[in-house]
Amino acid sequence: MKVRLALWAIVGTLAAGTPLVAHHSFAAEFDAKQAIRITGALTEIEWTNPHSYFHLSVKNDNATVEEWICEGGSPGALSRRGFKRGNIKIGDTLIVDGYRAKDGSRLMDARRVTLPDGRIVSGGSADDGGPQ
Amino acid sequence: MTRVCQWLIAATVFGSPALSPGPSFAQGGSSLTAVDTKSATPRPTPRTSDGHPDLSGYWKGTRDTVPGGNIGKDLPGFKLPLTPAGEAALHHNLTATIDPESLCIIGGIPRHNASGLPFEVLQGARKIAFLYWYSYYRLIPVDASRKHSDDPDPSFFGEEIGRWEGDSLVIDSIGFKEEKVWIDENANPHSDALHVVERWTRPDADHIHVETLIEDPKFYTRPFTYARTWIAGQPDEEVHEYACSENNVDRDHLGFGPGPIRPDGTRGYIDPAPLPPPIPKGSPPK
Repeated sequence: MKVRLALWAIVGTLAAGTPLVAHHSFAAEFDAKQAIRITGALTEIEWTNPHSYFHLSVKNDNATVEEWICEGGSPGALSRRGFKRGNIKIGDTLIVDGYRAKDGSRLMDARRVTLPDGRIVSGGSADDGGPQ
Repeated sequence: MTRVCQWLIAATVFGSPALSPGPSFAQGGSSLTAVDTKSATPRPTPRTSDGHPDLSGYWKGTRDTVPGGNIGKDLPGFKLPLTPAGEAALHHNLTATIDPESLCIIGGIPRHNASGLPFEVLQGARKIAFLYWYSYYRLIPVDASRKHSDDPDPSFFGEEIGRWEGDSLVIDSIGFKEEKVWIDENANPHSDALHVVERWTRPDADHIHVETLIEDPKFYTRPFTYARTWIAGQPDEEVHEYACSENNVDRDHLGFGPGPIRPDGTRGYIDPAPLPPPIPKGSPPK
């Protein structure tokens, strides 16, 4: 499994003017300047409220393995976007694009998820003030 | 939702490496907000057997409510009339408190009226229930002869009393908490002197509207108002269980305050870094 972890340039536009829905503000937890992509194997699935969590085993370029936790939207939010619990199972490979937690932990916002079948879904919390 | 629809949504959201402004999620019947397409041909307001408008229904906000989550939405520059004590309380909220809602504490009133989440109303002759996401509710007696208590126990929704004034349901509330409360998503404060008067109307079958008067002489120099309209959801839409405290991992990772507030009055970063370019369509992860 190839690991990709990249920081991307600080460029972009804002998503604004949307009703706020999320359980918490994106900016209270995540750093919008640290956009990353990780690819890893699912080791645990928490299909829970107020957020879902996808635990990924990620192999680094130096062959070490890191455990990452990707925070997704609530099960209801994901289901409405066509991302169902049955779409993933332990051992599947996911690509998750999102933003690192501000506290430096291996926790990230699962803003965009590429599922095992190749579908790309919005995985984050809707209207939390984060990039859309 | 068909596979084609899923791809269309994905393409809309992620079709370009650049992030684009504006709504990005499906706006159909299953989304959290609705597009107001029903104003042109209004249907009559349903009424209960006692002749009052029936406010019952599943109600969804619209993208026209801007800035979302900001109780100062209707004020010039979204500027709330804070007293010095209110300014201090706001500073405290921004620098020393985690959003109570993210800790699974009830948002209360008026915050729930500024929320982007849908809600459901069940109306009876003597009581009316507002059912919210996170499995919260408020149950309001509708009784014009009822008076507020001398010293109500502070609560997040306050001591609420309803009465009909013509076709308006008026909900008068006092007895609020002062700790662990934000009046909106932006960490604005309210005190235990808060007095809220909501006037709910259903001008036609597909809309519900509130005019909210907010008085808080400890934290605000004058009363101010917050108005909003919601649209009826689909017949099969309803509030579902949402156990906020089931797995609240966030609480250990959240910082104080809501983070930056944009010039448009919403919370969030102005200059987020773009995500990596999306994976080409139909390419399973390897």
